[in-house]
Amino acid sequence: MTLSRDFVSDTGERRRAGDARPVIGELIDEATIESIAQEAWVSLVGEDEILVPVPVDLPADAVSAWVDVVGPWTGTVVLSTGKETAEDLCRALLGPAAPPVIEDEDVADAFGEIANVVGGNVKAVLPGPSALSLPEVGDAPAVRSPADYVRLDVLWRGEPVSISVQGALPALPDRNPQHEENHEENEVSL
Amino acid sequence: MRALVIDDSRAMRRIVTSILEGFGYELRDAGHGREALDVLNEGWVPDLVTVDWNMPVMDGLQFVSAVRSNPAWRSMTMMMVTSESEHTQIVRALAAGAHEYVIKPFTADAIRDKLALLGLLPQEAVL
Repeated sequence: MTLSRDFVSDTGERRRAGDARPVIGELIDEATIESIAQEAWVSLVGEDEILVPVPVDLPADAVSAWVDVVGPWTGTVVLSTGKETAEDLCRALLGPAAPPVIEDEDVADAFGEIANVVGGNVKAVLPGPSALSLPEVGDAPAVRSPADYVRLDVLWRGEPVSISVQGALPALPDRNPQHEENHEENEVSL
Repeated sequence: MRALVIDDSRAMRRIVTSILEGFGYELRDAGHGREALDVLNEGWVPDLVTVDWNMPVMDGLQFVSAVRSNPAWRSMTMMMVTSESEHTQIVRALAAGAHEYVIKPFTADAIRDKLALLGLLPQEAVL
């Protein structure tokens, strides 16, 4: 077992002052996102509504709803699905309270609320305190850093839905290889 | 009994309203805290207020604080219904004057249980 000298004498100051920033893959995994999404679906959409995790391609008319998380980890929780599936989600969410005619505004509102609920619960498992934005609906925000990105694909009623958690900040520069070498030299055996 | 449902999502207002109607409540709703204060200032004072946290114009925490600063509204019971589930946020809401806290997603049974705890479940809903 080895322990770095840096760690032995670490008071926390170096980590706070350093450029290390957690990426989402270190903070949450697909299984946790699936669990959060499934709970949201069962509570909001219906008791028998199951999400089946499977790689899927979104249709060309995909719409997205998202909320931003701002805190020790800053990024966005994005739900995407086809337009028709978003309408079906809206009807299922509203159930008997659904108006006779579902307008685009209703779909955006309902899809945004699902993103809000999933995003709020994703935020809860990330380091805090964090702030949650109001939901937005439209074209999905661009992925800024592929290393700071986790995506779960599911089928709901046979239709593709994706849930991604993606960093809002650009990727950090690669570590200096020289620094890595020095770091290894600082390791001591215990 | 009367309830005021405050949420910026129309879908969520419909869902909460539908649940409370099932318990026999007379209802009004509002899309944010400022709109809800307008309802209260009309003289329509509810027994129960369900209030979301993150809303435009006036958020749920600001609304709870505003209500608590007015002695005329002290009889109202306020229940936060929100996707904010961090412990620190729950403590902030309760410290500001909320009586109960329900985390989205929730079920109708969860709302019923909270109302029963608060003594706000109408007798016909208990039977």
